[in-house]
Amino acid sequence: MRRFMVIAIPIFTLVLFIFIMLSGYFLKNTQVENYDIPKQIQIIEKYINNEEWEEVSKETKKLEEIWQKIVARVQFSSERDEINAFTISLAILRGAIKAKDRSSALIELYEALEHWKDLGK
Amino acid sequence: MNEGLVVFVRSIIAFFSLLIFTRIIGKEQISQLTFFDYVLGISIGSIAASLTTDLSSGAWPHWVGLLTWAVLGYLMELITMKWRYAAKYLEGEPTIVIMNGKIMESALKKLKYRVSDILALLRNQGVFDVNQVDFAIIEPNGQISILKKPEYQINKDMNIQVPPSGISTELIYDGIIIDENSRQLNKDRAWLMDQLRKHKIKDPSEVFLATLNPAGDIYIDKYDDQIIKVTDIGDYKGPY
Repeated sequence: MRRFMVIAIPIFTLVLFIFIMLSGYFLKNTQVENYDIPKQIQIIEKYINNEEWEEVSKETKKLEEIWQKIVARVQFSSERDEINAFTISLAILRGAIKAKDRSSALIELYEALEHWKDLGK
Repeated sequence: MNEGLVVFVRSIIAFFSLLIFTRIIGKEQISQLTFFDYVLGISIGSIAASLTTDLSSGAWPHWVGLLTWAVLGYLMELITMKWRYAAKYLEGEPTIVIMNGKIMESALKKLKYRVSDILALLRNQGVFDVNQVDFAIIEPNGQISILKKPEYQINKDMNIQVPPSGISTELIYDGIIIDENSRQLNKDRAWLMDQLRKHKIKDPSEVFLATLNPAGDIYIDKYDDQIIKVTDIGDYKGPY
């Protein structure tokens, strides 16, 4: 039993560490209140294309809320630079929405999507 | 992102991973480490440090680096343990640097040791006069092992009194006379030349090292040691 514990504890510890370090990939795809980031980006894109700025603003706020929850989950396994880049993209998107600038909003939305894809890769 | 919390969690991962890996790699004491083991330890420690604080990249690539270094270290240990041929190449072998009281200059050159390094290692072992040494061997971990001349091996049971020798001073180092040291011992060049002639030496440039202890015993090592058969204590099959 003692020998089993001596071997099992380090193996269990290492497996747990590996899980924590790789968890970002799975956790970033989990849903927050039935929403996930790519789905939300799709919704925002649709409203931007129709230039429905009130809806865009509302959905972007929701995207930010979802992002804050996702960050808390993936921060242990993801790169700080990608997290910060996504946050900055959201800030620029907010500015583009305020200016009702369709092209800038779409550019930032796609940049955010790219950062999202690279997160925890 | 809560950076403090992330660093805290990554510290725990790095700390216990390092603990587990080092336990697997081996139980050697620090004093028994070869130079490569020492470098390996520093590298693994450095990777663990980046794993903890370098948040610009994920923990996983750092951890894979840590694991790879640890696995390679373990493999090296396994190879050197099972295969002596490889051990000779990977870990080195003991090298005789003083044989029959004579300093082996070629061995020192190969090891990249100066004679002053050897004298310092001898002093670390409590030998302050090279005259007392019959054999000295540099071990693969950089430490020196000494066999003293029989007259300096104290046998407590026989109650033999050994005359005190004191700290020896270098008179000639690498073929060059050190006049300052001679002056301190109230000796001049004429006395030194006379001593050299007694040892059938015509010129100080033939001498690799000459020391004098307070008891007046002079130690002279020539470049030409005239040792016909050099003992190789690590003489098992290897790549060289």
